[in-house]
Amino acid sequence: MLRNRGLAYAAAFGCGMVTFLVGATPAPVATDPGPIKVAVRRLTETQYRHTVADVLGPQIKIEARFEPEKREEGLLAIGSSQLSLTSAGFEQYFALAGSIAEQALAEGQRDRVVPCKPADATRADDGCARQFVAAYGERLFRRPLTESEIAARVRTAAAGTARLHDFYGGLQLALTSLLVAPEFLFRIETAEPDPAQPGAFRLDGYTMASRLSFLFWDTTPDAALLQAARSGALHTAAGLQEQLERLTSSPRYEQGARAFLADVLQLDGFANLVKDPAIYPKFNQSVADSAREQTLKTSLDLLVRQQRDYRDLFTSNETYINRSLAAVYQVPFVSDKEWAPYTFSDASERAGILTQVSFLSLFAHPGTSSPTRRGIKIHEIFMCEPTPNPPADVDFSKVKDSTQGTVRGRLLDHMQNTGCTACHRRSDPPGLALEHFDGLGQLRTTENNVPIDVSADLNGSKFVGANGLANYLHNDPRVPACLVRNVFAYGVGRKTEERDEDYLAEQTRIFAASGYRVPGLMRQIAATPEFFKASIPRGVSP
Amino acid sequence: MSLRFDRRSLLKGMLGGSAVYLGLPALDVFLDGNGTAFADGAPLPLRFGTYFWGLGLTDTPTGGTRWVPTTTGPGYEVTPELASLAALKDKVSVFSGFRAIGDGKANLVHWSGHASILSGIAPASPNRFDGASFDTRIADAIGTATRFKAIDVDASISRLPVSYSTRTGNTFATPETTPLALYTRLFGPGFQDPNSPDWKPDPSIMLRQSVLSAVTDERQSLMRNVGKADQVKLDQYFTSVREMETQLAVQLQRPGKCEACVVPGAPKDAPRASSVDVVNANTRTMAKLLAMALACNQTRVFNVVHTAGASETYLAGQSKIYHQITHDEPTDARLGYQPETSKLAALVMQALGDFLTELDAVKEGDGTLLDHSLVMAFSDTGYAKIHSIENIPMFLAGRAGGRHKAGQHIVGKGESVTRVSLTAMQLAGAPVGEFGTGTMKTARPISEVMT
Amino acid sequence: MKHAIASSLVAASIALVVPGMAAAGWTRTYVVEWNEPAMYYGAKSGVIDPGTDCPAGTNPEVDWVKVLVAAGYTEEEAKWLRNPANPTRSPVHGQNQMAFRGKDRANVYVNPTSTPDAGLVGVSGTIAEGIDLDGNAHTGLTSPTGEQGIDNKFYETLGCWKTYRGPPRLSSGALQFNDSMRNGAWTTLIVVTGKGSDPLNDKHVAVGFYLSNDKMVKDGNGAIARDYTFRIKPHAKYEAVFAARTVNGAIVSTKPADVMLRDPSYTQDLELLRARVNLQMQPDGSLKGYVGGYRPWEPVYRGWVNARGPVIEVLTWVQLPAVYYALRRNADFSPGGRKGEKTHISYAMRVEALPAFVITPDATAQVAAVMSYKVQAPQEEERRGAGTFRVVDGIVIDPKMTVQAGPNAVILPSTYQK
Repeated sequence: MLRNRGLAYAAAFGCGMVTFLVGATPAPVATDPGPIKVAVRRLTETQYRHTVADVLGPQIKIEARFEPEKREEGLLAIGSSQLSLTSAGFEQYFALAGSIAEQALAEGQRDRVVPCKPADATRADDGCARQFVAAYGERLFRRPLTESEIAARVRTAAAGTARLHDFYGGLQLALTSLLVAPEFLFRIETAEPDPAQPGAFRLDGYTMASRLSFLFWDTTPDAALLQAARSGALHTAAGLQEQLERLTSSPRYEQGARAFLADVLQLDGFANLVKDPAIYPKFNQSVADSAREQTLKTSLDLLVRQQRDYRDLFTSNETYINRSLAAVYQVPFVSDKEWAPYTFSDASERAGILTQVSFLSLFAHPGTSSPTRRGIKIHEIFMCEPTPNPPADVDFSKVKDSTQGTVRGRLLDHMQNTGCTACHRRSDPPGLALEHFDGLGQLRTTENNVPIDVSADLNGSKFVGANGLANYLHNDPRVPACLVRNVFAYGVGRKTEERDEDYLAEQTRIFAASGYRVPGLMRQIAATPEFFKASIPRGVSP
Repeated sequence: MSLRFDRRSLLKGMLGGSAVYLGLPALDVFLDGNGTAFADGAPLPLRFGTYFWGLGLTDTPTGGTRWVPTTTGPGYEVTPELASLAALKDKVSVFSGFRAIGDGKANLVHWSGHASILSGIAPASPNRFDGASFDTRIADAIGTATRFKAIDVDASISRLPVSYSTRTGNTFATPETTPLALYTRLFGPGFQDPNSPDWKPDPSIMLRQSVLSAVTDERQSLMRNVGKADQVKLDQYFTSVREMETQLAVQLQRPGKCEACVVPGAPKDAPRASSVDVVNANTRTMAKLLAMALACNQTRVFNVVHTAGASETYLAGQSKIYHQITHDEPTDARLGYQPETSKLAALVMQALGDFLTELDAVKEGDGTLLDHSLVMAFSDTGYAKIHSIENIPMFLAGRAGGRHKAGQHIVGKGESVTRVSLTAMQLAGAPVGEFGTGTMKTARPISEVMT
Repeated sequence: MKHAIASSLVAASIALVVPGMAAAGWTRTYVVEWNEPAMYYGAKSGVIDPGTDCPAGTNPEVDWVKVLVAAGYTEEEAKWLRNPANPTRSPVHGQNQMAFRGKDRANVYVNPTSTPDAGLVGVSGTIAEGIDLDGNAHTGLTSPTGEQGIDNKFYETLGCWKTYRGPPRLSSGALQFNDSMRNGAWTTLIVVTGKGSDPLNDKHVAVGFYLSNDKMVKDGNGAIARDYTFRIKPHAKYEAVFAARTVNGAIVSTKPADVMLRDPSYTQDLELLRARVNLQMQPDGSLKGYVGGYRPWEPVYRGWVNARGPVIEVLTWVQLPAVYYALRRNADFSPGGRKGEKTHISYAMRVEALPAFVITPDATAQVAAVMSYKVQAPQEEERRGAGTFRVVDGIVIDPKMTVQAGPNAVILPSTYQK
């Protein structure tokens, strides 16, 4: 019986015959110990797309279903450090890699893409293949390839060329193999011994380059960053500062800021957002997509382009809308462009991000608003305060059945129940202040012809309506502290812990003193040694 | 130079140009004396699937149950919320009274229940299991010879699709969420009709295999100096690569004919709404596709989520979601249960009835696809109002090739849900002797339903 | 003479509302989500049932064999032509030979009087929807709410014809054309402004109908969504400006106007002479009512003919020449005065509109006045939809057909078997 670990029975039962295949291979030779891997972070969809566009060209069409990301401790960036790839996910990446390689090396493109010409286009040319693999491998793996990594792909190219009698066909296989490699699909962060402190470790230059590039541009390090890594400049204060200036003054910074904001503001799932058409007939996919874009456009404009005070995000009545959104907001769209700036009047009760359709519709039910959900998300997103799960021992049989007719009334009743008070007293009030907006985000000031009461009391702090809530958040010191924490956690890809508290408090102080400007905050944090601290995982000895 | 027989070497052997076909004596785990056979003598494959729906079934602590049959053993009487299973009741066993046991861990609402059923251990944190889900064990045992090891489906039309199938507890499978996506994955590019008379091996497949070998060659050096958590992630990555290799290997072989296989046409996607009527229709459409995928031997294992725990579905036109109703609705003093909740529960169960009906509609051998399958259907809670993880409704449907003595109502009397999971694993042919940890550890399957 | 005076009055009234009318006291703007001829349905249920309007129900399906035989074809030929198994002329464009049933096989579509009047059955009831166009309570029928003098001969003539008959929004013609409009074929806007402070009661109101290139958007239930913004597209033809007043929310014309609107039919131009509006502002913000006037009747006939005579006749159960005769017979207005030829017929269109935002053609502001934009309109000729067929003399000729219809066509093939 052939039963070895990992043995595959290539057998088709039931619907046909049984087959079995035989072969043999020599055992691999032991290689040198490599660098220490301190983190493995899966590439996000936008990072993947931007990288392919930057490395192989923006004309490459990427049509695939990307594996869903996971939100952990409020950020997808933290979740990406915990995710791997399922087989369905790998299937998609495998097919996608083949498609990308084919497009990149298509007849019209190859002269631009391949840095050398083969001696004979129908036969293998290891030299040219090696050049290609080394150049693109470095851009894709975000570090120079090792000899064995290059050799493996050169072998693949040669074998493919032999079968296809086409040098470029072989290169396609090599490129595909680079695009499905874990070193590309995952950001493998590595540490090296720190020459300044014997026995200690520091992140190597390429890992630093990646962190900077993904934080500021949401893409793979460009040639200049790779060079700064190679030369060791990133390990100097001046070299690092130079790159920080370059990265934030580039128009590409908007791309990175957009990815950061989309993560922090939890703007995911719009493609799948569902509302009941009978109750919210104006909702459709175009409205959902537009809502997301509105929030991103508005935030980017306020925080990055105008470099205004972060807290204005809650109180500013200036935004961008398009025709679909205008219908939901019930305002005219006076423009012949697709998007136009719009300033909401005071009477509209709309000021700030919490009154935008994106936030209001995402954190609601298909057919109603949800003060609890909105309240929970306000705490989580803007104050970094997650809400614990409902306790298991709540005796719902003792929960007084509420006879209240309004949403607010029932929630207030629930808050009377001892098992529920502790959390709902905290989570519900901010959501209650937003009750003038229904589950789609449309303004409604009465429920059953009775004006909706939007006063709220959050552990002693009282405010009324969306404006009141906005001012509350504007003035609460936890809000900027939360953003600081998020910038840091997003950049390093892990949740923050008690040991980070002093550092984060100091960064928050600087952030406040500088007028709460976000680009400055990101530069400031990326210049601190804490941002590049290498934590060796337990059990790994060099 | 040591010779190693492993999967890669098999594939390399194929790349070298020679494929050797050997007749292999059938292994015990795949043959059972009670299995029915095709005319040519080859045994019919057993299929296994999980089917999950959210918010349990209506059952109140004061005794008003709408789903637990009053009789035990064979021939149980069909209760109101099980009405949709009436036509198939002889092929469905009902398990009541089983519970998830936390061993001191908090009951994480809408999570601990099914996490315990699937992984055998009460999870410490939400959004994670503390062990692999047992469908992966079954997939490893019976799913290695088909193009897909398992297929995951989420029919709930919700914003964040879910799957509860996991190998690491961290990363869950990516489900197909629309009929068209499911169809494309199963019958789109890469599908080889097993009954096609002019099958030829696709030469490009061998080239794609060579792409993967460059990746797997680097595995050892990659895994050096990696922390434990990261090792787990990379392991899963390489497992996914191996499954891709298997897919390619399977595609290089001439598929055996499958009489029951009829390649369906591409479905149209329905409008997106998560009301229960639309979700049920979606489930039914995807059931048809899944049934044909099983009949065409594209996979042996599947996992279906009808609605996630804390289900967001609702009656069309009504503003309250099912989840909220389970908590808000008072128990009707006269009826003894929550009427709106029960209405929704029955509607949700309709989807399970339809799902099983679709499997039963495919004739296979001298029975139906359902006769050669085992579907374990279960939910996240018992009495949803109080997030109870006692009396979680569980069903085993399908005759499992004759191994399942179906049609019985088994009462658990507070025993662990893992007993049912273990039973499912053994009926499905996974070589598993025990399952679960702590108080939920068990080595005793429910022999009353096993031949 | 009267016409000259009338038109100068009209010109004068238009001058009143042309720019010069500064920002109004109030503005309400709408998009038309449904428009159809106002054809009062007199039955209690169904779409073709007998009712007070048509006691025998909708005009029944025509016996085409009988018609062809009456036109001089043999019974064998007639049956052969009507047999669906013989789509010799075209399965899509119908049996072209049906055109040639006039005297000496003349084409009746372009020569309707070459065949006798078959007598189109019209409405015999006493109720009609529409507007009192001539100010005379003794001419015309009574509205469902009791108003007398409703002038709608178009309805009386064609109201039992299947394509027009039915409850609101349910006649086959209305469904077809409104579906097309709601799917983006065209958009009509209505702007209402007033000088006073109470929109529901204002003596100085202006109403404007305009076209827009912006498409309507359907909501989750298939209805048109409210509150979308539309930009006025200046059009050389389709624009209407009315002087009116509001009384308890009813917008009623104070003077007639000669206008042209986009007709929801094959005859795209809806010229209305002496036109008036009667539109009711609804509590939910929408607008419902009529716009009526005297429309030229021959283009109506020609519109149907140009939609492929054989197809229209068979699908809508009508003999088109009879429509010609009936319209000619019932036309009740001559623009040239009492002695002139009655080229026009009284008509009313039901209009339902939803609140929408309307902005100026240059997209810089919401409209605040009712004015004419015709001077800004480009000179564009009629654009036909892509893929429409070429209709010549009421039929579509497919040159690839082995046998062509015509006055000299041989009907039965030599291999014809009974």
